Amino acid sequence: MVSIKLDNVSLVYKLHDKLTLSAPDRRVGGPGGRIEGSGRKQFVQALDGVSFELKAGDRLGLVGPNGAGKTTLLKVLYGIYEPSGGNVAIEGKVDALFNINIGFRREATGRRNIVLRGLISGWTEAEIEEKMNDIIAFSELGDFIDLPFKAYSQGMAARLAFSVATALDPEILLMDEWIGAGDASFQEKAKRRMDELAEKAGIIVLASHSEALIQSVCTKKMTLTGGRIKSLTPEPVKQTETDA
Amino acid sequence: MIAALNGAFDDISKAMKLHRVWVALAHEDIGDQHRRTTLGPLWLLVNYIAFVGTFVFVFQPAGKDAAGYAAYVAIGLLVWFYLMEVMSMSVALFQREESFIEGTTLPLFVYVMRLALQSVIRAGYAIVGCVVILLFSGSHLGMPWLWSLAGLFLILFTTPPLITVFAFLGAFFPDSQFIVGNLLRVGMFFTPVFWMNKGQDPVQKYAYEWNPFTYFLEIVRLPIINGEFPAHAFIVTIIAALATWAIALLLLGRYRKQVVFLI
Ligand SMILES: Nc1ncnc2c1ncn2[C@@H]1O[C@H](COP(=O)(O)OP(=O)(O)OP(=O)(O)O)[C@@H](O)[C@H]1O
Ligand SMILES: [Mg+2]
Repeated sequence: MVSIKLDNVSLVYKLHDKLTLSAPDRRVGGPGGRIEGSGRKQFVQALDGVSFELKAGDRLGLVGPNGAGKTTLLKVLYGIYEPSGGNVAIEGKVDALFNINIGFRREATGRRNIVLRGLISGWTEAEIEEKMNDIIAFSELGDFIDLPFKAYSQGMAARLAFSVATALDPEILLMDEWIGAGDASFQEKAKRRMDELAEKAGIIVLASHSEALIQSVCTKKMTLTGGRIKSLTPEPVKQTETDA
Repeated sequence: MIAALNGAFDDISKAMKLHRVWVALAHEDIGDQHRRTTLGPLWLLVNYIAFVGTFVFVFQPAGKDAAGYAAYVAIGLLVWFYLMEVMSMSVALFQREESFIEGTTLPLFVYVMRLALQSVIRAGYAIVGCVVILLFSGSHLGMPWLWSLAGLFLILFTTPPLITVFAFLGAFFPDSQFIVGNLLRVGMFFTPVFWMNKGQDPVQKYAYEWNPFTYFLEIVRLPIINGEFPAHAFIVTIIAALATWAIALLLLGRYRKQVVFLI
């Protein structure tokens, strides 16, 4: 059963943990999480007491100002960051799309990059071979697939990244602001694929500043500010929120 | 302690299941480094031969030692360059892999093995050159070469933990990148790579006996040069290898989740 359950999750970025011979630099705060401590022991509270549950078929839109903790939350869900406190329980095969350039090799061709990405996601060679043509067709990159990745435009890179990440039917798909680069026709296509994915009882979590995108893709919306949940709509049936 | 070891073994076994990833990435790395060059990775062989040639030309002793010197330097440089490359590439390993570490959930040991394999492939070119030089300088293929081969395998066995230790060092203590780089450059003179220990010069004797790298060189070199099994060197190397593994496992087990916050 595909599910995500977060219980009072917090995450702290420590800024001066590294041992260094140089004088500590002064980091200046902007919007976003709270900067606490001083001197060598500064830290940013990027997530604070985050609790929510998602079930199969849920499509959650994450919104909030810059630095609210959206990317951080996605990385906690993916397992890149171990939370500083609280519990994360995830059932299901997770795939994620962060920065579109992450995990791609600039010198390698699109085709080779598909193979590498597949291997990284734990696919077998047979699975990659089987999906290769679908991925290329879906990305509509045509002959560009045999050109090095560095020759791609942002939107072309986004097409490739999305096609690969959704090719093996992930049960949980996490996406961070990726879609802006794709053109209208590709966004439409991507939306249809996400619909399919959610219908197969998957979970989608999408962080975006585009209200329209969230409206059209998501069934739930969570607003984060300063690392805390400000609102979650529709409200969960059982009210389990304890922190005020 | 037990939890740390479990964590480390978990990371390592996951990385071993993903061996296709690091094999593919290591090949990409080699290809990238030599893209658009005519000789490609053969440059590694050319470099190595040029180095050995230079040392032989400048330092070859007169008299009866002369013949053996080429073999001595050839093996010394082979092992030393390999170790030096492994260590100097390791200190910035996690920083170099930043985009993968922050964007995927690959176990850290994948990056370790990627670098290990890449270094081994690169050393492979030098090994070809080394064997050619050995045959030309009058060494005969024989049983003792098997001891040298065992020595090479021992070095291979020590490579992943060595990379791990230096990679964590570089992640937690960024200044170490420069310190290690400088130490390695100086280290060549304190390691019997191209000089022979005659036991007369006290500094030389000290550098020979107390430098762990001496033994890594000697397990490969002594069997071929002297035709004997260097038991003492093997024992020291095995102890060093196990100690490195122990440290690497503890670091990996205890700190692997912290690395992403440090780079
Ligand atoms: N590697 C890091 N080191 C230190 N602090 C960080 C790091 N990454 C993020 N932060 C801090 O954590 C907080 C949350 O950042 P996060 O990237 O999650 O925000 P976001 O909601 O994704 O913002 P945006 O809309 O700009 O993408 C911010 O205050 C940010 O400064
Ligand atoms: Mg973000």
